[in-house]
Amino acid sequence: MERAPGRQTRRRDIATAYLLLSPAVLLLLTVLAYPVAWETWASLTSFSPLQDGGTAFVGLANYRTLLTTPAFWWAATVTVGYAVITSTAKVLLGLGFALLLARPFRGRAWVFLIIFLPWAYPASVSVIGWYWMLNPPVATAYAVSLGRVKYAVDSLLGGGAWAFASVILFNIWRGSSFIGVLLLAAINAIPPELFESGRLETTSAWRRFRLVTMPLLKPFLALATFLSLTSAFGDLANVWMLTGGRIVFPVIGTTAYWLAIMAGQFGPGSALSLTLVPLLVGVLLVLFRLFDPPSRDTA
Amino acid sequence: MNPKPWWVTLGFWSVVLLAATYCLFPIYFILVQSLKSPREDVFGNPFIVVHPTFENFEDLFARPSAPRGFVGSALRRSYPVLDWLTNTLVVFTGSIAVTLGTSLAAAYALGRLRPPGFRWWRRGIFAASLIPQTILFVPLYQVVHTLGLDDNLVALLLIYPTMAVPFCVWLLSAYFERLPREIEEAALIEGASRSSAFLWIVLPMSRPVLVAAGIFALGTVASDFMIASIFLLSPHTQTVPAGLGTMDVSLDELGAIAGINLLAIPVVAIAALFARGYVRGLTAAMLEGA
Repeated sequence: MERAPGRQTRRRDIATAYLLLSPAVLLLLTVLAYPVAWETWASLTSFSPLQDGGTAFVGLANYRTLLTTPAFWWAATVTVGYAVITSTAKVLLGLGFALLLARPFRGRAWVFLIIFLPWAYPASVSVIGWYWMLNPPVATAYAVSLGRVKYAVDSLLGGGAWAFASVILFNIWRGSSFIGVLLLAAINAIPPELFESGRLETTSAWRRFRLVTMPLLKPFLALATFLSLTSAFGDLANVWMLTGGRIVFPVIGTTAYWLAIMAGQFGPGSALSLTLVPLLVGVLLVLFRLFDPPSRDTA
Repeated sequence: MNPKPWWVTLGFWSVVLLAATYCLFPIYFILVQSLKSPREDVFGNPFIVVHPTFENFEDLFARPSAPRGFVGSALRRSYPVLDWLTNTLVVFTGSIAVTLGTSLAAAYALGRLRPPGFRWWRRGIFAASLIPQTILFVPLYQVVHTLGLDDNLVALLLIYPTMAVPFCVWLLSAYFERLPREIEEAALIEGASRSSAFLWIVLPMSRPVLVAAGIFALGTVASDFMIASIFLLSPHTQTVPAGLGTMDVSLDELGAIAGINLLAIPVVAIAALFARGYVRGLTAAMLEGA
Protein backbone atom coordinates (compact mmCIF):
# COMPACT_ATOMS: atom_id res chain seq x y z
CA MET A 1 0.00 0.00 0.00
CA GLU A 2 1.22 3.45 -0.83
CA ARG A 3 1.66 5.69 2.12
CA ALA A 4 4.08 8.28 0.92
CA PRO A 5 3.24 11.55 2.68
CA GLY A 6 3.53 13.11 -0.72
CA ARG A 7 2.13 16.18 -2.34
CA GLN A 8 -1.17 14.42 -3.03
CA THR A 9 -1.86 13.72 0.65
CA ARG A 10 -0.79 17.19 1.66
CA ARG A 11 -3.10 18.79 -0.86
CA ARG A 12 -5.98 16.67 0.38
CA ASP A 13 -5.16 17.64 3.97
CA ILE A 14 -5.25 21.29 3.05
CA ALA A 15 -8.61 20.91 1.36
CA THR A 16 -9.96 19.09 4.43
CA ALA A 17 -8.57 21.84 6.62
CA TYR A 18 -10.45 24.55 4.74
CA LEU A 19 -13.59 22.45 4.81
CA LEU A 20 -13.30 22.04 8.57
CA LEU A 21 -12.60 25.73 9.11
CA SER A 22 -15.59 26.83 7.09
CA PRO A 23 -18.39 26.47 9.69
CA ALA A 24 -16.57 28.56 12.28
CA VAL A 25 -15.45 31.12 9.73
CA LEU A 26 -18.91 31.32 8.16
CA LEU A 27 -20.46 31.85 11.57
CA LEU A 28 -18.04 34.63 12.43
CA LEU A 29 -18.52 36.27 9.04
CA THR A 30 -22.31 36.31 9.28
CA VAL A 31 -22.74 37.29 12.87
CA LEU A 32 -19.61 39.37 13.40
CA ALA A 33 -17.84 40.57 10.26
CA TYR A 34 -20.94 41.56 8.33
CA PRO A 35 -22.44 43.54 11.21
CA VAL A 36 -19.12 45.31 11.75
CA ALA A 37 -18.96 46.22 8.07
CA TRP A 38 -22.56 47.39 8.10
CA GLU A 39 -21.94 49.45 11.17
CA THR A 40 -18.88 51.04 9.60
CA TRP A 41 -21.01 52.04 6.63
CA ALA A 42 -23.80 53.33 8.86
CA SER A 43 -21.37 55.42 10.85
CA LEU A 44 -20.62 57.40 7.68
CA THR A 45 -24.26 58.20 7.05
CA SER A 46 -27.16 59.94 8.72
CA PHE A 47 -29.14 56.70 8.83
CA SER A 48 -32.09 56.80 11.16
CA PRO A 49 -35.42 55.01 11.06
CA LEU A 50 -37.10 58.12 12.43
CA GLN A 51 -35.96 60.30 9.59
CA ASP A 52 -38.08 61.38 6.66
CA GLY A 53 -36.32 61.39 3.34
CA GLY A 54 -33.35 59.31 2.31
CA THR A 55 -30.19 58.41 4.15
CA ALA A 56 -27.42 60.84 3.33
CA PHE A 57 -23.75 60.01 3.15
CA VAL A 58 -22.08 62.37 5.54
CA GLY A 59 -18.50 61.15 5.50
CA LEU A 60 -16.68 61.59 8.77
CA ALA A 61 -19.10 64.17 10.08
CA ASN A 62 -20.43 61.85 12.80
CA TYR A 63 -16.93 61.25 14.06
CA ARG A 64 -16.06 64.93 13.86
CA THR A 65 -19.10 65.80 15.95
CA LEU A 66 -18.18 63.17 18.51
CA LEU A 67 -14.60 64.28 18.88
CA THR A 68 -15.65 67.84 19.56
CA THR A 69 -18.27 66.87 22.15
CA PRO A 70 -17.02 67.00 25.74
CA ALA A 71 -19.56 64.32 26.68
CA PHE A 72 -17.80 61.88 24.36
CA TRP A 73 -14.47 62.43 26.06
CA TRP A 74 -16.09 62.00 29.45
CA ALA A 75 -17.63 58.69 28.30
CA ALA A 76 -14.30 57.57 26.84
CA THR A 77 -12.49 58.43 30.06
CA VAL A 78 -15.02 56.55 32.15
CA THR A 79 -14.80 53.55 29.82
CA VAL A 80 -11.03 53.39 30.03
CA GLY A 81 -11.12 53.98 33.77
CA TYR A 82 -13.69 51.23 34.21
CA ALA A 83 -11.67 48.78 32.11
CA VAL A 84 -8.38 49.58 33.83
CA ILE A 85 -9.73 49.53 37.39
CA THR A 86 -11.65 46.29 36.98
CA SER A 87 -8.91 44.53 35.04
CA THR A 88 -6.22 45.45 37.54
CA ALA A 89 -8.32 44.29 40.44
CA LYS A 90 -9.40 41.11 38.66
CA VAL A 91 -5.90 40.08 37.65
CA LEU A 92 -4.47 40.80 41.11
CA LEU A 93 -7.28 39.00 42.94
CA GLY A 94 -7.20 36.17 40.43
CA LEU A 95 -3.47 35.77 40.88
CA GLY A 96 -4.05 35.71 44.63
CA PHE A 97 -6.67 32.97 44.27
CA ALA A 98 -4.44 30.94 41.98
CA LEU A 99 -1.48 31.14 44.34
CA LEU A 100 -3.71 30.27 47.28
CA LEU A 101 -4.81 27.11 45.51
CA ALA A 102 -1.47 26.26 43.95
CA ARG A 103 -0.20 24.09 46.78
CA PRO A 104 -2.09 21.19 48.27
CA PHE A 105 -3.76 21.61 51.64
CA ARG A 106 -6.59 19.89 53.41
CA GLY A 107 -9.90 20.95 51.92
CA ARG A 108 -8.38 22.46 48.79
CA ALA A 109 -11.00 20.91 46.54
CA TRP A 110 -13.74 22.73 48.45
CA VAL A 111 -11.95 26.05 48.47
CA PHE A 112 -11.39 25.66 44.74
CA LEU A 113 -15.07 25.02 44.18
CA ILE A 114 -16.00 28.10 46.20
CA ILE A 115 -13.63 30.29 44.19
CA PHE A 116 -14.99 28.83 40.96
CA LEU A 117 -18.60 29.65 41.89
CA PRO A 118 -18.87 33.40 41.13
CA TRP A 119 -17.97 32.69 37.51
CA ALA A 120 -20.07 29.54 37.26
CA TYR A 121 -23.09 31.34 38.65
CA PRO A 122 -24.91 32.52 35.51
CA ALA A 123 -24.18 36.22 35.18
CA SER A 124 -27.36 36.81 33.22
CA VAL A 125 -29.35 36.35 36.39
CA SER A 126 -26.77 37.17 39.05
CA VAL A 127 -26.71 40.68 37.66
CA ILE A 128 -30.43 40.94 38.42
CA GLY A 129 -29.75 39.56 41.89
CA TRP A 130 -26.96 42.06 42.46
CA TYR A 131 -29.16 44.89 41.35
CA TRP A 132 -31.72 44.01 43.98
CA MET A 133 -29.14 43.28 46.60
CA LEU A 134 -27.68 46.76 46.19
CA ASN A 135 -30.85 48.66 45.27
CA PRO A 136 -33.49 46.84 47.30
CA PRO A 137 -37.20 47.56 46.82
CA VAL A 138 -38.42 49.87 49.57
CA ALA A 139 -40.36 47.17 51.34
CA THR A 140 -37.38 44.97 52.22
CA ALA A 141 -35.94 44.93 55.69
CA TYR A 142 -32.54 46.31 54.73
CA ALA A 143 -33.74 48.99 52.31
CA VAL A 144 -33.33 51.83 54.77
CA SER A 145 -29.84 51.06 55.97
CA LEU A 146 -28.55 50.34 52.47
CA GLY A 147 -30.30 53.45 51.20
CA ARG A 148 -28.30 55.50 53.66
CA VAL A 149 -25.03 54.07 52.34
CA LYS A 150 -26.20 54.72 48.81
CA TYR A 151 -27.02 58.35 49.47
CA ALA A 152 -23.79 58.88 51.37
CA VAL A 153 -21.82 57.60 48.38
CA ASP A 154 -23.91 59.54 45.88
CA SER A 155 -23.68 62.82 47.74
CA LEU A 156 -19.94 62.42 47.99
CA LEU A 157 -19.23 61.47 44.36
CA GLY A 158 -22.31 62.58 42.50
CA GLY A 159 -25.61 60.88 41.74
CA GLY A 160 -25.18 57.46 40.18
CA ALA A 161 -21.84 56.83 41.88
CA TRP A 162 -23.27 54.02 43.97
CA ALA A 163 -24.71 52.36 40.89
CA PHE A 164 -21.43 52.65 39.07
CA ALA A 165 -19.51 51.30 42.07
CA SER A 166 -21.85 48.33 42.06
CA VAL A 167 -21.05 47.69 38.39
CA ILE A 168 -17.36 47.67 39.22
CA LEU A 169 -17.89 45.40 42.20
CA PHE A 170 -19.96 42.96 40.19
CA ASN A 171 -17.46 42.86 37.33
CA ILE A 172 -14.58 42.22 39.73
CA TRP A 173 -16.51 39.61 41.69
CA ARG A 174 -17.25 37.49 38.63
CA GLY A 175 -14.05 38.17 36.70
CA SER A 176 -11.60 37.48 39.50
CA SER A 177 -13.11 34.02 39.80
CA PHE A 178 -12.60 33.30 36.09
CA ILE A 179 -9.05 34.63 36.08
CA GLY A 180 -8.21 32.81 39.30
CA VAL A 181 -9.20 29.47 37.76
CA LEU A 182 -7.43 30.30 34.48
CA LEU A 183 -4.19 31.15 36.28
CA LEU A 184 -4.50 28.11 38.52
CA ALA A 185 -4.62 25.97 35.39
CA ALA A 186 -1.56 27.84 34.09
CA ILE A 187 0.36 27.22 37.33
CA ASN A 188 -0.56 23.55 37.16
CA ALA A 189 0.90 23.50 33.65
CA ILE A 190 4.32 24.63 34.86
CA PRO A 191 6.59 21.59 35.15
CA PRO A 192 7.32 20.95 38.86
CA GLU A 193 11.05 20.57 38.15
CA LEU A 194 11.22 24.29 37.55
CA PHE A 195 9.89 24.99 41.02
CA GLU A 196 12.32 22.44 42.46
CA SER A 197 15.32 24.05 40.85
CA GLY A 198 14.04 27.42 41.97
CA ARG A 199 13.90 26.10 45.51
CA LEU A 200 17.57 25.12 45.28
CA GLU A 201 18.54 28.52 43.92
CA THR A 202 16.95 30.66 46.58
CA THR A 203 15.17 30.25 49.89
CA SER A 204 13.13 33.43 49.62
CA ALA A 205 9.58 32.65 48.56
CA TRP A 206 9.14 36.14 47.14
CA ARG A 207 12.24 35.84 44.95
CA ARG A 208 11.10 32.42 43.74
CA PHE A 209 7.73 33.90 42.87
CA ARG A 210 9.36 36.74 40.97
CA LEU A 211 12.03 34.73 39.21
CA VAL A 212 10.25 31.45 38.49
CA THR A 213 6.48 31.76 38.74
CA MET A 214 5.98 35.19 37.22
CA PRO A 215 7.97 34.73 33.99
CA LEU A 216 6.27 31.41 33.32
CA LEU A 217 2.85 32.87 34.02
CA LYS A 218 3.42 35.94 31.86
CA PRO A 219 1.66 34.71 28.71
CA PHE A 220 -1.37 33.64 30.73
CA LEU A 221 -1.46 36.88 32.70
CA ALA A 222 -1.47 38.62 29.32
CA LEU A 223 -4.30 36.41 28.10
CA ALA A 224 -6.30 37.09 31.26
CA THR A 225 -5.70 40.82 30.96
CA PHE A 226 -6.73 40.75 27.31
CA LEU A 227 -9.99 38.91 27.96
CA SER A 228 -10.76 41.15 30.89
CA LEU A 229 -10.03 44.43 29.08
CA THR A 230 -11.98 43.55 25.96
CA SER A 231 -15.02 42.45 27.90
CA ALA A 232 -14.90 45.61 30.01
CA PHE A 233 -14.57 47.89 26.97
CA GLY A 234 -17.59 46.35 25.37
CA ASP A 235 -19.51 45.94 28.59
CA LEU A 236 -22.99 47.24 28.16
CA ALA A 237 -25.31 44.73 29.73
CA ASN A 238 -23.91 44.93 33.25
CA VAL A 239 -23.63 48.70 33.24
CA TRP A 240 -27.09 49.05 31.80
CA MET A 241 -28.67 46.61 34.21
CA LEU A 242 -26.97 47.81 37.36
CA THR A 243 -27.41 51.51 36.77
CA GLY A 244 -30.79 51.43 35.07
CA GLY A 245 -29.36 53.51 32.24
CA ARG A 246 -28.19 56.27 34.57
CA ILE A 247 -25.89 58.69 32.78
CA VAL A 248 -23.69 60.21 35.44
CA PHE A 249 -20.92 57.76 34.68
CA PRO A 250 -21.64 57.01 31.04
CA VAL A 251 -19.57 54.40 29.28
CA ILE A 252 -19.31 54.29 25.51
CA GLY A 253 -21.33 51.08 25.35
CA THR A 254 -24.39 52.43 27.13
CA THR A 255 -24.22 55.83 25.44
CA ALA A 256 -24.12 54.22 22.00
CA TYR A 257 -26.98 51.91 22.93
CA TRP A 258 -28.98 54.85 24.12
CA LEU A 259 -28.21 56.86 20.99
CA ALA A 260 -28.94 54.06 18.52
CA ILE A 261 -31.80 52.13 20.11
CA MET A 262 -33.54 54.68 22.29
CA ALA A 263 -33.00 57.79 20.18
CA GLY A 264 -32.94 56.07 16.80
CA GLN A 265 -29.78 57.82 15.66
CA PHE A 266 -28.12 54.84 13.98
CA GLY A 267 -25.43 56.84 12.22
CA PRO A 268 -23.96 58.68 15.21
CA GLY A 269 -24.63 55.64 17.42
CA SER A 270 -22.62 53.40 15.13
CA ALA A 271 -19.80 55.93 15.01
CA LEU A 272 -19.79 56.02 18.79
CA SER A 273 -19.65 52.20 19.05
CA LEU A 274 -16.80 52.07 16.59
CA THR A 275 -14.66 54.51 18.55
CA LEU A 276 -14.07 51.49 20.81
CA VAL A 277 -12.32 49.63 18.01
CA PRO A 278 -8.97 51.52 18.00
CA LEU A 279 -8.75 50.96 21.75
CA LEU A 280 -9.43 47.25 21.35
CA VAL A 281 -6.98 46.83 18.50
CA GLY A 282 -4.31 48.58 20.54
CA VAL A 283 -4.88 46.19 23.43
CA LEU A 284 -4.77 43.24 21.08
CA LEU A 285 -1.51 44.26 19.42
CA VAL A 286 0.26 44.88 22.70
CA LEU A 287 -0.85 41.65 24.34
CA PHE A 288 -0.83 39.33 21.32
CA ARG A 289 2.93 39.02 21.25
CA LEU A 290 2.80 37.77 24.81
CA PHE A 291 0.22 35.02 24.60
CA ASP A 292 0.16 33.96 20.98
CA PRO A 293 1.14 30.29 21.24
CA PRO A 294 4.83 30.01 20.47
CA SER A 295 5.31 28.95 16.88
CA ARG A 296 6.61 25.48 17.05
CA ASP A 297 8.16 24.70 13.72
CA THR A 298 8.01 20.97 13.54
CA ALA A 299 7.14 20.91 9.88
CA MET B 1 8.91 19.04 56.47
CA ASN B 2 8.98 20.84 59.76
CA PRO B 3 5.59 21.94 61.05
CA LYS B 4 4.66 25.52 60.26
CA PRO B 5 4.31 28.02 63.12
CA TRP B 6 0.72 28.52 64.28
CA TRP B 7 0.50 32.07 62.99
CA VAL B 8 1.23 30.98 59.43
CA THR B 9 -1.61 28.48 59.60
CA LEU B 10 -3.90 31.06 61.17
CA GLY B 11 -3.01 33.65 58.54
CA PHE B 12 -3.53 31.17 55.74
CA TRP B 13 -6.96 30.10 56.94
CA SER B 14 -8.05 33.68 57.57
CA VAL B 15 -7.20 34.44 53.94
CA VAL B 16 -9.14 31.37 52.84
CA LEU B 17 -12.10 32.42 54.98
CA LEU B 18 -12.00 35.94 53.56
CA ALA B 19 -11.86 34.65 49.99
CA ALA B 20 -14.72 32.23 50.61
CA THR B 21 -16.90 34.95 52.13
CA TYR B 22 -16.17 37.27 49.23
CA CYS B 23 -17.09 34.58 46.70
CA LEU B 24 -20.09 33.12 48.47
CA PHE B 25 -21.83 36.05 50.12
CA PRO B 26 -23.77 37.33 47.08
CA ILE B 27 -24.84 33.81 46.15
CA TYR B 28 -25.88 33.08 49.72
CA PHE B 29 -27.74 36.34 49.98
CA ILE B 30 -29.74 35.76 46.80
CA LEU B 31 -30.58 32.23 47.94
CA VAL B 32 -31.75 33.42 51.35
CA GLN B 33 -34.04 36.08 49.86
CA SER B 34 -35.69 33.53 47.60
CA LEU B 35 -36.65 31.35 50.57
CA LYS B 36 -38.38 34.12 52.47
CA SER B 37 -42.06 34.67 52.88
CA PRO B 38 -43.25 38.17 51.99
CA ARG B 39 -43.68 38.84 55.67
CA GLU B 40 -40.14 37.91 56.53
CA ASP B 41 -38.85 39.87 53.56
CA VAL B 42 -40.25 43.05 55.06
CA PHE B 43 -39.78 42.52 58.79
CA GLY B 44 -37.08 39.87 59.15
CA ASN B 45 -33.33 39.98 59.36
CA PRO B 46 -31.95 40.39 55.82
CA PHE B 47 -29.08 37.93 56.30
CA ILE B 48 -30.93 34.88 57.54
CA VAL B 49 -34.17 33.10 56.89
CA VAL B 50 -36.00 31.80 59.94
CA HIS B 51 -38.88 29.98 58.29
CA PRO B 52 -37.69 28.94 54.84
CA THR B 53 -40.49 28.43 52.34
CA PHE B 54 -40.74 27.38 48.71
CA GLU B 55 -43.77 29.59 48.25
CA ASN B 56 -41.94 31.92 45.85
CA PHE B 57 -40.95 29.05 43.62
CA GLU B 58 -44.47 27.65 43.63
CA ASP B 59 -45.82 31.11 42.86
CA LEU B 60 -43.71 31.26 39.75
CA PHE B 61 -45.48 28.26 38.33
CA ALA B 62 -48.92 29.28 39.54
CA ARG B 63 -51.78 29.33 37.07
CA PRO B 64 -52.87 32.70 35.70
CA SER B 65 -56.21 32.67 37.49
CA ALA B 66 -54.96 31.64 40.89
CA PRO B 67 -54.54 34.52 43.35
CA ARG B 68 -50.89 34.89 44.15
CA GLY B 69 -49.26 36.16 47.29
CA PHE B 70 -50.71 38.72 49.63
CA VAL B 71 -51.31 41.27 46.87
CA GLY B 72 -53.64 38.92 45.09
CA SER B 73 -54.18 38.33 41.43
CA ALA B 74 -55.17 41.88 40.59
CA LEU B 75 -51.70 43.35 40.66
CA ARG B 76 -49.49 40.41 39.90
CA ARG B 77 -48.94 39.08 36.46
CA SER B 78 -48.30 35.46 35.74
CA TYR B 79 -45.41 34.23 33.66
CA PRO B 80 -44.89 31.16 31.45
CA VAL B 81 -41.94 30.01 33.52
CA LEU B 82 -42.09 26.46 32.23
CA ASP B 83 -41.70 27.74 28.66
CA TRP B 84 -38.79 29.88 29.78
CA LEU B 85 -37.09 26.87 31.27
CA THR B 86 -37.63 24.73 28.18
CA ASN B 87 -36.38 27.52 25.92
CA THR B 88 -33.34 28.02 28.09
CA LEU B 89 -32.55 24.34 27.98
CA VAL B 90 -32.84 24.31 24.18
CA VAL B 91 -30.78 27.45 23.72
CA PHE B 92 -28.05 26.44 26.16
CA THR B 93 -27.53 22.89 24.93
CA GLY B 94 -27.91 23.96 21.31
CA SER B 95 -25.40 26.78 21.59
CA ILE B 96 -22.90 24.61 23.40
CA ALA B 97 -23.26 21.90 20.76
CA VAL B 98 -22.79 24.40 17.91
CA THR B 99 -19.82 25.98 19.69
CA LEU B 100 -18.11 22.67 20.33
CA GLY B 101 -18.78 21.31 16.85
CA THR B 102 -17.49 24.32 14.95
CA SER B 103 -14.56 24.94 17.30
CA LEU B 104 -13.50 21.32 17.24
CA ALA B 105 -13.48 21.22 13.45
CA ALA B 106 -11.63 24.51 13.13
CA ALA B 107 -9.14 23.67 15.86
CA TYR B 108 -8.36 20.29 14.34
CA ALA B 109 -7.71 21.96 11.00
CA LEU B 110 -5.44 24.57 12.58
CA GLY B 111 -3.61 22.38 15.07
CA ARG B 112 -3.20 19.19 13.03
CA LEU B 113 -3.69 19.76 9.32
CA ARG B 114 -2.03 23.16 9.26
CA PRO B 115 -3.17 24.74 6.05
CA PRO B 116 -0.93 27.50 4.72
CA GLY B 117 -1.12 30.54 6.96
CA PHE B 118 -2.71 28.62 9.82
CA ARG B 119 -1.18 30.98 12.34
CA TRP B 120 -2.97 33.90 10.76
CA TRP B 121 -6.21 32.00 10.65
CA ARG B 122 -5.88 31.32 14.33
CA ARG B 123 -4.99 34.91 15.12
CA GLY B 124 -7.90 36.11 13.02
CA ILE B 125 -10.37 33.84 14.79
CA PHE B 126 -9.05 34.80 18.19
CA ALA B 127 -9.17 38.47 17.30
CA ALA B 128 -12.90 38.04 16.79
CA SER B 129 -13.28 37.82 20.57
CA LEU B 130 -12.33 41.47 20.67
CA ILE B 131 -15.55 42.63 19.08
CA PRO B 132 -18.28 42.75 21.68
CA GLN B 133 -21.63 41.72 20.20
CA THR B 134 -23.20 44.32 22.40
CA ILE B 135 -22.04 47.12 20.11
CA LEU B 136 -23.60 45.43 17.10
CA PHE B 137 -27.29 45.36 17.98
CA VAL B 138 -28.62 47.21 15.01
CA PRO B 139 -26.83 45.30 12.26
CA LEU B 140 -27.28 42.03 14.16
CA TYR B 141 -30.97 42.69 14.19
CA GLN B 142 -30.87 43.09 10.41
CA VAL B 143 -29.05 39.79 9.99
CA VAL B 144 -31.62 38.10 12.19
CA HIS B 145 -34.45 39.77 10.31
CA THR B 146 -33.04 38.84 6.87
CA LEU B 147 -32.76 35.22 7.93
CA GLY B 148 -36.37 35.36 9.10
CA LEU B 149 -35.45 34.56 12.68
CA ASP B 150 -37.32 37.31 14.51
CA ASP B 151 -38.44 36.19 17.92
CA ASN B 152 -36.95 32.78 17.24
CA LEU B 153 -34.63 30.78 19.46
CA VAL B 154 -32.51 29.85 16.45
CA ALA B 155 -31.23 33.46 16.32
CA LEU B 156 -29.54 32.86 19.66
CA LEU B 157 -28.07 29.59 18.39
CA LEU B 158 -26.23 31.69 15.81
CA ILE B 159 -25.20 34.59 18.03
CA TYR B 160 -24.16 32.82 21.25
CA PRO B 161 -21.57 30.52 19.67
CA THR B 162 -19.68 33.48 18.20
CA MET B 163 -19.05 34.69 21.74
CA ALA B 164 -17.39 31.43 22.79
CA VAL B 165 -15.90 30.09 19.54
CA PRO B 166 -12.75 32.31 19.48
CA PHE B 167 -11.59 31.21 22.93
CA CYS B 168 -12.57 27.58 22.33
CA VAL B 169 -10.65 27.46 19.05
CA TRP B 170 -7.61 28.92 20.80
CA LEU B 171 -7.91 26.36 23.59
CA LEU B 172 -8.50 23.29 21.41
CA SER B 173 -5.96 24.15 18.72
CA ALA B 174 -3.26 24.80 21.33
CA TYR B 175 -3.97 21.32 22.68
CA PHE B 176 -4.04 19.65 19.26
CA GLU B 177 -0.78 21.28 18.36
CA ARG B 178 0.90 19.78 21.41
CA LEU B 179 -0.48 16.30 20.94
CA PRO B 180 2.42 14.18 19.63
CA ARG B 181 1.97 13.67 15.92
CA GLU B 182 3.32 10.12 16.08
CA ILE B 183 0.16 8.85 17.75
CA GLU B 184 -2.02 9.76 14.82
CA GLU B 185 0.59 8.91 12.22
CA ALA B 186 0.90 5.39 13.55
CA ALA B 187 -2.77 4.86 12.83
CA LEU B 188 -2.44 6.37 9.36
CA ILE B 189 0.41 4.01 8.59
CA GLU B 190 -1.78 1.12 9.70
CA GLY B 191 -4.17 2.18 6.97
CA ALA B 192 -6.73 4.10 8.98
CA SER B 193 -8.27 7.11 7.35
CA ARG B 194 -7.85 10.59 8.82
CA SER B 195 -11.43 10.67 9.97
CA SER B 196 -11.28 7.37 11.79
CA ALA B 197 -7.93 8.30 13.34
CA PHE B 198 -9.60 11.48 14.57
CA LEU B 199 -12.69 9.68 15.81
CA TRP B 200 -10.94 6.83 17.62
CA ILE B 201 -7.64 8.36 18.70
CA VAL B 202 -7.58 12.14 18.78
CA LEU B 203 -11.11 12.71 20.06
CA PRO B 204 -10.90 10.36 23.08
CA MET B 205 -7.53 11.89 23.97
CA SER B 206 -8.97 15.38 23.97
CA ARG B 207 -11.85 14.76 26.33
CA PRO B 208 -10.49 16.98 29.14
CA VAL B 209 -10.00 19.92 26.77
CA LEU B 210 -13.47 19.40 25.32
CA VAL B 211 -14.91 19.51 28.83
CA ALA B 212 -13.04 22.76 29.45
CA ALA B 213 -14.33 24.26 26.20
CA GLY B 214 -17.86 23.10 27.02
CA ILE B 215 -17.81 24.65 30.49
CA PHE B 216 -16.41 27.86 29.08
CA ALA B 217 -19.20 27.89 26.51
CA LEU B 218 -21.79 27.28 29.23
CA GLY B 219 -20.38 30.15 31.30
CA THR B 220 -20.45 32.46 28.29
CA VAL B 221 -23.93 31.54 27.15
CA ALA B 222 -25.31 31.72 30.66
CA SER B 223 -23.89 35.21 31.14
CA ASP B 224 -25.88 36.86 28.39
CA PHE B 225 -28.86 38.91 29.32
CA MET B 226 -28.92 41.65 26.73
CA ILE B 227 -29.02 39.66 23.49
CA ALA B 228 -31.73 37.35 24.76
CA SER B 229 -33.92 40.24 25.82
CA ILE B 230 -33.47 42.07 22.52
CA PHE B 231 -34.10 39.18 20.16
CA LEU B 232 -36.76 37.27 22.07
CA LEU B 233 -39.83 39.39 22.44
CA SER B 234 -42.91 37.33 23.12
CA PRO B 235 -43.24 35.75 26.56
CA HIS B 236 -43.46 32.20 25.25
CA THR B 237 -40.20 32.29 23.31
CA GLN B 238 -38.15 33.93 26.04
CA THR B 239 -35.37 32.33 28.02
CA VAL B 240 -35.20 32.64 31.78
CA PRO B 241 -32.91 35.73 31.87
CA ALA B 242 -34.95 37.54 29.22
CA GLY B 243 -38.17 36.65 30.98
CA LEU B 244 -36.94 37.71 34.40
CA GLY B 245 -35.97 41.02 32.85
CA THR B 246 -39.63 41.66 32.04
CA MET B 247 -40.82 41.06 35.58
CA ASP B 248 -41.97 43.97 37.63
CA VAL B 249 -39.19 45.03 39.91
CA SER B 250 -41.14 46.19 42.92
CA LEU B 251 -44.14 43.88 42.80
CA ASP B 252 -42.53 40.59 41.92
CA GLU B 253 -39.27 40.93 43.78
CA LEU B 254 -39.42 37.59 45.55
CA GLY B 255 -40.68 35.78 42.47
CA ALA B 256 -37.85 37.09 40.36
CA ILE B 257 -35.30 36.21 43.03
CA ALA B 258 -36.72 32.69 43.03
CA GLY B 259 -36.44 32.70 39.23
CA ILE B 260 -32.78 33.59 39.49
CA ASN B 261 -32.18 30.54 41.63
CA LEU B 262 -34.28 28.39 39.36
CA LEU B 263 -31.78 28.95 36.56
CA ALA B 264 -28.67 29.34 38.66
CA ILE B 265 -28.91 26.14 40.69
CA PRO B 266 -28.86 23.69 37.74
CA VAL B 267 -26.17 25.68 35.91
CA VAL B 268 -23.98 25.86 39.00
CA ALA B 269 -24.52 22.16 39.67
CA ILE B 270 -23.39 21.21 36.17
CA ALA B 271 -20.42 23.56 36.31
CA ALA B 272 -19.41 22.25 39.74
CA LEU B 273 -19.65 18.68 38.51
CA PHE B 274 -17.15 19.44 35.76
CA ALA B 275 -15.11 21.99 37.70
CA ARG B 276 -12.05 19.78 38.11
CA GLY B 277 -12.23 18.63 34.53
CA TYR B 278 -12.40 22.28 33.52
CA VAL B 279 -9.10 23.07 35.22
CA ARG B 280 -7.53 19.87 33.94
CA GLY B 281 -8.56 20.73 30.39
CA LEU B 282 -7.25 24.27 30.61
CA THR B 283 -3.99 22.93 32.00
CA ALA B 284 -3.70 20.37 29.20
CA ALA B 285 -3.99 23.14 26.63
CA MET B 286 -1.44 25.29 28.41
CA LEU B 287 1.21 22.63 29.01
CA GLU B 288 4.48 23.91 27.73
CA GLY B 289 6.75 21.53 25.91
CA ALA B 290 4.85 18.45 27.00
